Amino acid sequence: MPLPSGSRTAADPLLEARGLTRTYTLGSGSVPAVRDVSLMIEEAEFVALQGPSGSGKTTLLNLLGLLDRPDGGTLTVDGREASGLSENERADLRRDRFGFVFQTFNLIPVLSAEENVGYPMALAGVPPDDRRSRSMELLAAVGLEQKTSVRPDLLSGGQRQRVAIARALANRPAVVFADEPTANLDSKTAEEILDLMRGLCDSRRVAFLFATHDPRVVNRARRVVSLHDGRIESDVLSTGTRT
Amino acid sequence: MSALALAWRNLIRQRRRTALMGVVVAFGFAAFALAGGFIAQSFEGLREGTIRSVGQLQAVDRRAVSTSEETTLEFGIADAARARALVARDPEVSYVLPRIDFVGLATNGTKSIPYLGVAVDPEPEAAATGARGLVTVGSYLSGDGGDGVLLGTGLASALHVRPGDRVTLMATTPDGSLNAVDGVVRGLVDVRIKELNDRYLAAGAGLVSRLLQSSGTVSKLVIFLKAGADENAASRRIASALSGAGYSVVLRGWRQLAVFYEQVKLLYVGIFGFVGAVLVVIVILSAAIVMTMAVTERTREIGTLRALGTRPSGVLRMFLAEGVAIALLGCVAGALFALLVRALLNAWGFTLPPPPGGTHGDPIHVQLYPLAYAAGLVAMVATMAIASYFPARRAARLSIVEALAHV
Ligand SMILES: Nc1ncnc2c1ncn2[C@@H]1O[C@H](COP(=O)(O)OP(=O)(O)OP(=O)(O)O)[C@@H](O)[C@H]1O
Ligand SMILES: [Mg+2]
Repeated sequence: MPLPSGSRTAADPLLEARGLTRTYTLGSGSVPAVRDVSLMIEEAEFVALQGPSGSGKTTLLNLLGLLDRPDGGTLTVDGREASGLSENERADLRRDRFGFVFQTFNLIPVLSAEENVGYPMALAGVPPDDRRSRSMELLAAVGLEQKTSVRPDLLSGGQRQRVAIARALANRPAVVFADEPTANLDSKTAEEILDLMRGLCDSRRVAFLFATHDPRVVNRARRVVSLHDGRIESDVLSTGTRT
Repeated sequence: MSALALAWRNLIRQRRRTALMGVVVAFGFAAFALAGGFIAQSFEGLREGTIRSVGQLQAVDRRAVSTSEETTLEFGIADAARARALVARDPEVSYVLPRIDFVGLATNGTKSIPYLGVAVDPEPEAAATGARGLVTVGSYLSGDGGDGVLLGTGLASALHVRPGDRVTLMATTPDGSLNAVDGVVRGLVDVRIKELNDRYLAAGAGLVSRLLQSSGTVSKLVIFLKAGADENAASRRIASALSGAGYSVVLRGWRQLAVFYEQVKLLYVGIFGFVGAVLVVIVILSAAIVMTMAVTERTREIGTLRALGTRPSGVLRMFLAEGVAIALLGCVAGALFALLVRALLNAWGFTLPPPPGGTHGDPIHVQLYPLAYAAGLVAMVATMAIASYFPARRAARLSIVEALAHV
């Protein structure tokens, strides 16, 4: 039974993984991409997931974001066990509690910036007028008030990622997952995007969990989880980072 | 953004593909609308033509159904005038035509040609069957026919006679003796079947009764009903009225009398059904290819929509909506096209080749059959929905992770 999002008690973590395992079968062999990962994400955290290529960052993000199902271990969202959820319940949970930002932006090409931001709200049944005003507000928050009616193909990479961030925040999610959100951007734009996300994390009390192997991006995180060969190698709070 | 709105945007984005698929649907629809109209019209024409020649009901002597006559009027209906009046009293009957079938030789004095004759009551006959329209030269019989005779065009030219000329009709009377009467050619008729044109002869009942020396007896009564009458009920009523009055007759409907009607109908349904099935298969195949291409091209977009919280059914709906929208667009275009073709054909006055054994074809006049258009719409929407369903279901079932990783 999907619980209303407000039903989470103070004691329940936003997201909790225990012993998560995901193994890909490739031909005759099998690749353990994520092994026995336990991790907790709390409200308004700003977490970097780092590790070399192939260490399992994407795989772990997909598991935590309910895009993929683990072979072992448990995942709870708002204190609720996710493994028993149906495909539709998982879709509704992603819609209401999660946001996603992708390396390749993944905006819907036939929709304007404003309509892209409005899409998750339309899924949630938000009336068109409310959708429009909230889309405008979010686009203004990411600095794109001038581009609301523009189609994605006429936007720069940085602008597209800003639209994607606004879209991720549309339904006031608890967590935004971002897999290499800056990998397709130049370093100056990447830093701007990171600062934007951190600002939104603080102002809107949204947790961000992003995978990256860019050290400059890692530097801006408040907590850094390092993966190696599918296992968590370290999980540290980087209190010393500049704000 | 509903599934429908998104589907619509994608159709506009892929406007060339949409247009191409729309054209396929439009042709499919137009084929349904035009062919359907043509078939319906042909059936209608066939039915009317059949009824015009054999009547809606025929009353004949019971013996004439199973046995063939050795001599003319051997199994006729005697005291036909009373029977005719009795039938005419039925509220649903519009015309009762007495007819006598007879054979004999027609001669112009030097040459004798066999004929197939029919005796008619000219005025009601013409009113019920439109027989006046078959006259090519001269005029139809008037009044009770007098000594007037109508000849098939072939028979007239074989006899070298024209309206106004005299012909002598010879025939065997029911008691077996040979008799002859003189008639005057009033007009020539084209009954549209070549073999019959070479033999056809019609005359008033008075002249024929003198020839056959059998006044009061007819071969059959041909009955026409008012529009909208219940054929079966009328048939039962008339049969019981006649048998109640002492007539030993059988009533038969036009479908029984014209076996070929059902055969031709089946043939048409078979031919057009086959062509329609081929059409549907072509549309299904091309639509399935187009929709599969759309799904493949938009795999990553599908992954994104799913990640954002779209349910599998939402993805399914989006692609189904695209297929159905193409069908609707195609049907609108197809309807316009069909109307244009219809207008052109009708304006052109193009004549169909004569049917087998016929003497001339009818000009094409394509009527507008809303039912054929409705059938085209249903067929095309169903076809596109079926063709889109499987690609759409594949899209809905894609693994989100794999779809997002698709390049
Ligand atoms: N669909 C798949 N099928 C088989 N193996 C896979 C699949 N996806 C990932 N893997 C393997 O799982 C391991 C982890 O991959 P993953 O993509 O999670 O790593 P990553 O840390 O995101 O790497 P990168 O930094 O290159 O994006 C790798 O060894 C990879 O080859
Ligand atoms: Mg990765």
